Amino acid sequence: MSQITTLTQMKHLFFFILIVSFVASHAQEKYTLSGYVSEKTTGEKLLGVNITVGTKGAITNEYGYYSITLPKGAQTILISYIGFQNISREIDLQKSITLNFELEDNLDQLDEVVISGNSASKKVTSTQMSVSTISAKTIQKLPMALGEPDLLKSIQLLPGVSSVNEASSGFNVRGGSADQNLILLDEATIYNASHLFGFFSVFNTNAIKDLKLYKGGIPSIYGGRLSSVLDIKQKEGNTKKFGGEVGIGLISSKALIEGPLFKGNKDEAKGSYMIAGRRSYIDLFSFLNDEFKDTTLFFYDLNLKANYGINDKNTLFLSGYFGRDHFELNNFIGTVWGNASGTLRWTSILNDKLFLSTSAIFSNYDYTIDNLRSGSDFRWKSNITNYNIKPRLTWYLNTNNTLKAGIDYTYYNFKPGEISPLNGSVIQAEKFQEKFSTETGFYLDLKQNLSDKISLQYGARISNFNRKGNANIPVYENGTPLSYDDTQNIFIENEIIDQTEYKSGDNIKTFWGFEPRFSLRYLVDDQKSIKFSYNKMYQYLHLISNTSSPTPLDIWAPSGPFLKPQSADQFALGYFQTLKDDKYDFNVEVYHKSLKNTTDFIDGADLLFTENIETQIAQGDGRAYGLELQLNKNQGRLTGWLSYTLSRSERKIQSINNSEYYPTNNDQLHELNLVGLYKLNERWEFGANFIFGSGRPVTYPTGKYKQNGLVITDFENRNGDRLPAYHRLDISATLNPKPKKRGTWVFSIANVYNRQNAASIYFREISEVNDKEIATGRTEATKLSFFGIVPTATYRINF
Amino acid sequence: MKYLFIFSLLFFLISCETDVTNDVTLNGAPPKLVINGGIERNQTTPKTSHIIELTTTINFLDQNEPTAVENATVTVNNGTEDFEFSHQGDGQYVNSEITATLGTTYTVTIQWNNDTYQASDTLIEAPSFDNIYSVFEEETLFTDQGYFVNFDATDPPNIDNYYYYRVFLNDVFTIVPDGGNSTTLIENDQFFDGQARTGVNPNEEVVFEIGDNATVQLLGITENYYNFLFQIFEQTGSSGFSPVGNPPPASVRGNLLNITNPKVRGLGYFYASDVTEASIIISE
Repeated sequence: MSQITTLTQMKHLFFFILIVSFVASHAQEKYTLSGYVSEKTTGEKLLGVNITVGTKGAITNEYGYYSITLPKGAQTILISYIGFQNISREIDLQKSITLNFELEDNLDQLDEVVISGNSASKKVTSTQMSVSTISAKTIQKLPMALGEPDLLKSIQLLPGVSSVNEASSGFNVRGGSADQNLILLDEATIYNASHLFGFFSVFNTNAIKDLKLYKGGIPSIYGGRLSSVLDIKQKEGNTKKFGGEVGIGLISSKALIEGPLFKGNKDEAKGSYMIAGRRSYIDLFSFLNDEFKDTTLFFYDLNLKANYGINDKNTLFLSGYFGRDHFELNNFIGTVWGNASGTLRWTSILNDKLFLSTSAIFSNYDYTIDNLRSGSDFRWKSNITNYNIKPRLTWYLNTNNTLKAGIDYTYYNFKPGEISPLNGSVIQAEKFQEKFSTETGFYLDLKQNLSDKISLQYGARISNFNRKGNANIPVYENGTPLSYDDTQNIFIENEIIDQTEYKSGDNIKTFWGFEPRFSLRYLVDDQKSIKFSYNKMYQYLHLISNTSSPTPLDIWAPSGPFLKPQSADQFALGYFQTLKDDKYDFNVEVYHKSLKNTTDFIDGADLLFTENIETQIAQGDGRAYGLELQLNKNQGRLTGWLSYTLSRSERKIQSINNSEYYPTNNDQLHELNLVGLYKLNERWEFGANFIFGSGRPVTYPTGKYKQNGLVITDFENRNGDRLPAYHRLDISATLNPKPKKRGTWVFSIANVYNRQNAASIYFREISEVNDKEIATGRTEATKLSFFGIVPTATYRINF
Repeated sequence: MKYLFIFSLLFFLISCETDVTNDVTLNGAPPKLVINGGIERNQTTPKTSHIIELTTTINFLDQNEPTAVENATVTVNNGTEDFEFSHQGDGQYVNSEITATLGTTYTVTIQWNNDTYQASDTLIEAPSFDNIYSVFEEETLFTDQGYFVNFDATDPPNIDNYYYYRVFLNDVFTIVPDGGNSTTLIENDQFFDGQARTGVNPNEEVVFEIGDNATVQLLGITENYYNFLFQIFEQTGSSGFSPVGNPPPASVRGNLLNITNPKVRGLGYFYASDVTEASIIISE
């Protein structure tokens, strides 16, 4: 996009602010009521709490703050939040005032609406569509595959969210690839969300307060990824008293402590903290298999958060995450990888209508591979680091208009790779060029109630990306790293003939993106609504992964002279309804997404230890469309949901699959999830989920031939075949041996009927005869399944 | 890469494999022409003839040998002269007049089924061995216990070199479809340019016993052939499968081009290579 059109768009944007200002009405005398809403027992701030006065309403923001402008005089305020007792308070508003509320847990009822933080009616009335939430409580009750409640596995039970296979913590949203999800943990970007090669995710559910997954209608405050935003917030810690939780499982154990800070002898402290840790010990079982007795394999992670209220109006938050995976095979290979992030945030109530939050964030992902084979020992290191500053102003203009404006600035440093000799080997040290870039987003987001029936949320994000020096950019023959050979339908790598030198701070390549966002809700009546949304997204980072799902060795690469930013346009239309006094709710959404400049490897790409990755990948178009249905049962002894997704996801990239559309790795026509939680009595609770998915794409061989004594497989169409359908039933039981006491048992059986689901079917030459390894010339097809039936048990204790 | 292969192995701890050879139906494709062979310069045991094998592809689960091509005409040009290859049965085309020389680019032309195919490669010098010997190694996770042949060799400085190692067990060429092949059987000097390397094991899968005759060949190859071998070794080692560490399966491009009808590709590689060779009898 040229700079001039961008400037024009900026003008439009400012014009739009002007309109907003006009919408603000000035009729009768009005005052503002504002404050925080928190949980009574722990002091934890509550997000998304409804504050209702007559037909007017507001909800608390992500920090538990609300602001509502009301006419002068006496009125009744209703504070309601799912799972908590309502508060009704009479007030006589004669000036603008601050009122903080504390909500009490709803213990009388049988676990009302545990499935989501959103009440059924809010799903109908909110302007936002295509959003999914699932509470940490629910995640902990669901059956677990490996004895550890898992956030990313749980969100895959929601419509439109899936993964390529069980060994993948990467998830796919509405046909997008795993790197198109923006995963935020307390605003810090998490680059690799998996532990142990994907069997676990990096999020310790104990430490999580809230999560929200945006699949569409993504508000302009978010940017940088095409498919989704997974916004995860950590617990802030108990401001009233010290407490904790210990969980002991077969594969991992964890602990959490929390408590007040600067409490003195007051009832409520000025601050609080939370520290949680987790360590797996799967390798302790490696003695069971003689071949793996020298194997080290474990992960650990640490979550922490602290906050301090400087005064009534200003609060400081500090939160961090640190996680590592270790894997070593004696004398052979060792790898370590993990994320680290830190967020420092300051929230400030400037006045009763203006709320400012400013965050400074650091995030890093790195991995190390040690080749320990004698003679060629070396260490390979790679990482990505970013520094991010996000000031955001929320302006509660009046009851009908809320405006958010902000800047999102990120500085990236990529270190694609560095090799160094180990143990005195003759391997020469070598370092690939570091890459630098900046990404800036300017955004405006307006929430507007046009009438009782129609509400809007719209805005835009202007994004700017700069690939910066210092760098030596190769100059390729024919001006491009890859030339397309039409006759053979292949890309041919061009030679590097020269290089252009850029100094530190020089702009190598600049991109601008204009990203309008729009959501509309039309309320048919109290129980029904129709919603429509559109969003445009730009993504400037590319995950160069040579697999269908993320691995520890993936390389993130910035857009630049040879790699264009990806973009997506998504339209979605939905119908939302509550049934039987919110006991049930139902929604259906259809969406269509078109993508530009998505990446895929050219045939025969080689990525590891390749400096100029532009010679290995091609960019092209993509499209995804589908229908999602969800029926929730929110109340009663039995709660749960049924969801169904019908979808398609395809790519079209020159040279791949004869330059015709082909299904992406995550294309799945049908997906059905049935999730149920049943509370029998105070002692026993049961959970079950059933998953059915139609077969995923796979590329089967079309022929074979021989070369240098080995059988070589020939392929034609990429992803032209399908694996068998996937289905599985998991069950769990939660036992409180002594209700109201602190210990809880969680028993779980994954894959109850021991279905051998195909993670892959692969084809190979038989290479063993009479225990001797040799090429035989004979060939076979083999199905690989990950889990049979897996029973697990975990014990949790709270104090 | 081998590491990735190991990651895959880990999954086998909790995974299960089932033979589904009889349950899978493959669509197949029309047969394609495949070339296997080339021109070798070997000063230790000079070649009396050069062999080019031509076959066509068959269905992957068909347990027969690939079909031999018997009605092709095969000519190799060394830049100045054409050499005819004659069919000796089983798709083997042979010529005994070529004297392989360093730096020469050889081009093969094949006429088959009304199409003309062509492939070229350049013969690049291979360094000689500094030493060759046998070593005994304990069993590891990826190798058996036994005797292995190792060599020392010095890489020529300031030139990009690409190597391919062949091992013969009692004069029989031995290769195993193994994930490690793409890092052990072939190497480039990106990280050891100009260095004297010691203790290089040319094939970790071939275990010798005392008294065996071990022959090692070090082939100097072009970057293009190296890339081809990398892809076929990576493919045969991983079998096109992986939850981690493999590009999506795709046809491996060799250097055999169909001039008449470029979209109907030929497969395989016609190479030219300088071969350094040495043999030892394995002893304690």
